[in-house]
Amino acid sequence: MNVGDKLILKKNNVSDFFYSLQEQMQLIAPKQRFAGDVVFDLVNSPDEIVWEYGHDIYPPGKRYLFPHYEDMFSYRQGEQIAIDVAADVPRQAIVGIRSCDVTAVRFQERFFSSPIVDPFYKTRSDNTVLFSLVCNEPPKKDCFCICCDAGPYLESGFDVQLTDLGDRFLYEIGSEKGLDVSEPREKYLEASTEQDIAERKRIELHADSLFQTASYIAKAIIYITSDEVPDEVWEELGSTCFRCAACTNLCPICTCYTVDDRPEPDGSFTRCRSWDSCQYAGFTREASGHNPRPTFGSRVKRRFYHKASFQYIMRDGRHGCVGCGRCVSSCLTKLDLPSVVKRIRRAMHDYIEPISKPTAFLE
Amino acid sequence: MNDKPTTCGFCSCGCALYVEPRKSGLGISGLCPSTTHPVSTGRLCIKGWNATTSLIRVDRLQTPLVRKGNELQPASWEEALSVTADVLKRVISTSGSEAVGVIGSAKTTNEECYSLVKFARAVLRTPNIDGACRFYDASLIPALIDTIGIPASQIGVEQLAEAGSMLIAGANVMEQLAHIGSRIQDAVENGCKVVAVDPRKSRLAPQAGLFLHPKPGSDLTWVRALLKTILDRKLYVDAAPQMPGFEELRASLDDVVIGVLPQVCGIEPEAVVEAATILAENEPCVVMFGLGVLQQQDSTILVKALANVALLLGGYVMPLRGQNNAQGACDMGVLKDYLPGYEPISSVETRAKWESAWQCAINPQAGLSAIEMVQGGVKALLVFGENVALSAPNTEQTISALEKLDFLAVSDLYLTETAQLADVVFPACSFLEKDGTFTNIGRRVQRVRRVIDPIGESKSDLEVIVGLASAFGKEMATDPSAVMKEIAATVPLYANFSYEQFETGWGEPWRASTPTPRLAPIHATDLPPEEPDYPYQLLASRINFHTQTGTMSARCGILTREYPESVVEINPSDAEKLKLRPGRVVRVSSKTGSLTRRLAVSDAVPQGCVHVPHYFGGDSANMLAGYECDSISGVPVYKGLPVKIEAVS
Repeated sequence: MNVGDKLILKKNNVSDFFYSLQEQMQLIAPKQRFAGDVVFDLVNSPDEIVWEYGHDIYPPGKRYLFPHYEDMFSYRQGEQIAIDVAADVPRQAIVGIRSCDVTAVRFQERFFSSPIVDPFYKTRSDNTVLFSLVCNEPPKKDCFCICCDAGPYLESGFDVQLTDLGDRFLYEIGSEKGLDVSEPREKYLEASTEQDIAERKRIELHADSLFQTASYIAKAIIYITSDEVPDEVWEELGSTCFRCAACTNLCPICTCYTVDDRPEPDGSFTRCRSWDSCQYAGFTREASGHNPRPTFGSRVKRRFYHKASFQYIMRDGRHGCVGCGRCVSSCLTKLDLPSVVKRIRRAMHDYIEPISKPTAFLE
Repeated sequence: MNDKPTTCGFCSCGCALYVEPRKSGLGISGLCPSTTHPVSTGRLCIKGWNATTSLIRVDRLQTPLVRKGNELQPASWEEALSVTADVLKRVISTSGSEAVGVIGSAKTTNEECYSLVKFARAVLRTPNIDGACRFYDASLIPALIDTIGIPASQIGVEQLAEAGSMLIAGANVMEQLAHIGSRIQDAVENGCKVVAVDPRKSRLAPQAGLFLHPKPGSDLTWVRALLKTILDRKLYVDAAPQMPGFEELRASLDDVVIGVLPQVCGIEPEAVVEAATILAENEPCVVMFGLGVLQQQDSTILVKALANVALLLGGYVMPLRGQNNAQGACDMGVLKDYLPGYEPISSVETRAKWESAWQCAINPQAGLSAIEMVQGGVKALLVFGENVALSAPNTEQTISALEKLDFLAVSDLYLTETAQLADVVFPACSFLEKDGTFTNIGRRVQRVRRVIDPIGESKSDLEVIVGLASAFGKEMATDPSAVMKEIAATVPLYANFSYEQFETGWGEPWRASTPTPRLAPIHATDLPPEEPDYPYQLLASRINFHTQTGTMSARCGILTREYPESVVEINPSDAEKLKLRPGRVVRVSSKTGSLTRRLAVSDAVPQGCVHVPHYFGGDSANMLAGYECDSISGVPVYKGLPVKIEAVS
């Protein structure tokens, strides 16, 4: 067995395969919740995994490697300062994660390891194996991974990639980590046939043809990098923002966090890090009270600079969007990437003065 | 993460969310909205995303407190309950049950609200039970019962995007109720025409096809002109003339002179005609109004006038209530003049029904309002989940009246400004720590589920109420599902609800059997007199980042970082006239109080007005209000107050 192998996992072996994996690590997978909601969660049994789940709004790669609220260490005040580093990081497999989210995990791994290694992220990421699941069709209309080179299937970046071929999964091994979890379970895997590979090709082409949302991010990269987008456009966009920060919270790429020290009932303190957002005024407000990004428009501009300007592409190795569509479904208005890119492109061709001049709403 | 979602408790939209408690210690490790819930649809607002952390903190009240000497000291539940029961018994035996008052919350569950009403009326036998809504929006109750027939929104949040037109008056809705704001944007995208009315240019501006900026206090004048225009131009629906009250309404508007609009309201007559045409031509029209309308001198009449607009145009009314269970608390009868289900206390049959349901005699006297209670109208006062020291008007006098009470007991999450004055403090659970139901702004009754264990020794208000009742020798149900069973059996609006049903979906809006709409006559009222010593008018608005008196939201790191300090805003030309620079500390004073804030200037604020965003991290705009109330509903006048502004040297 080697990295690069394309094998077959028959559906009647899936349960046994993951039961056996579960002895080694906990399984995180799409799980049925209340009234039709499906959310990634710890599953007690592989039989709970909802394979045909569409898409989870809560990015599993981010949530399980870089949680919303994460304890870093705890300490006590007083003469003897004792620091306990949080060490509760279980081995886990995220099963059924989509291609876009795998791409995002690789982006975050790169971010959190250069130039300084973030020990909290690294421990979690070292302990995590990604079983990605190819989208046989775009799970929802908001998806645009195809425009962002992040799906609906992957050429690389996965540990194991599964493609649903009906009664079987095509089982591709993409990394040493993937190989390590596959080798002990050889008895559940078998060789694939040419027919299987052909079927996989057919699924790829079919899936590619079904995307409804397009985002011509390449053009936006040019306009944003060259700072050509008029400020009026950013202010017009910002005037509709509800400042909920769901766009950055649920973006599987966004990495910003804040830290605070939380008092505990026993008198100790826990240093906790939690997601922060460039869409908040407090994110950049300086101690003097001055804010270099004082308006909503300036903060929306900031977000898209980080997503699409060349300086970040150079640093991060790709633009900061995987096309998962979560900014589309979670935004209370229309400040998602495809809509903003569309607005920017229109502005570059025919910037029309809006009917009422947008007010630059300050903090 | 918990398998079952709960209902967010930070505003009336009522999103469903999953909360993941931290593995050990206090706090959460994550949360996410439900995608299938009709309001949240995979989205949350800034409070939903952040404020949950403000509920689970080490400074939560951990044990009951009992005042000994001058200090509140930790006590056992047994002691706190027995001290309270003993004092109440003594006050009742010496001064009668009318000397006891109870103020309920619009944040607690329906089951807690219902049990509180039952406790007050059937156990304490006091007529003085009223809710937090008296400080905010109670004026809509008599007004909407008399017009559309139900004191609630006629449509749900999820239906707003289909509106053809909207009239939105006196509400900072884009800031306060983000999910409704979002639906307004969706509606506009679908072609809906928005007529916004607010003295100040709010964040509705980008959505508003027409934005009217009337002078504060002049609302009845333009609404009457709007009604007159609709009638004169026959813009109403065909069914309108057959509606009861049509001719009386027409007659009551005989004295409307459109020509006075520029002088009285600062609005051109053509703008009112345009508004009427937009609303009539784009069906269905939704009439929404917020605290800007609900906290005025004649707010009940004003709400009736706005409801008439909806009735004449065949549209819908949606009052923009703020608190998570504002609707449910009123449905459950946390009101001085109604028993649960809006059954009037004045009616003999109603009282007979409830006397038999509760097996007690109900005091038929008209009770005191929450405003009258906090002014010292009672000797002993119980306050559940409302920080009356800040939410009541006339802060200084209110606090001194609360201090003078013989006895004050408070149930709350934190040692609030009110709790600090109390003789007994009960540590309450947050909505994350208890089971129950909330009723959202669209009347949807939905489950609240316990996702973490109660913090410290805290208990739900239901447990406190049951404990107090048992000290009086009365048995009351402790299990929320049993309470809901009793509600379903006694309150017809809730007849179809049960906990079994809530296990299969997102609940349902309650439905009134057959409300009979009726148009109300709208006579002119006197304009408030001018006060030469106080030449400016106060505009107070809700903000995105904080809710209520800040007991919860002001404890959230992200939210206080976003909004650490409130300001006073005036128009740049007024700043120039007063020779005040932005950043200067200024004092805004009224006849009853004053507050100091840093000054900001904004074109959004009209000349002659002072805008104070509501934030309670310090003093509040409520300090400026007196005890003047809308004469029908008893809601204090918080809006348009005459004030002056000066530099603090």
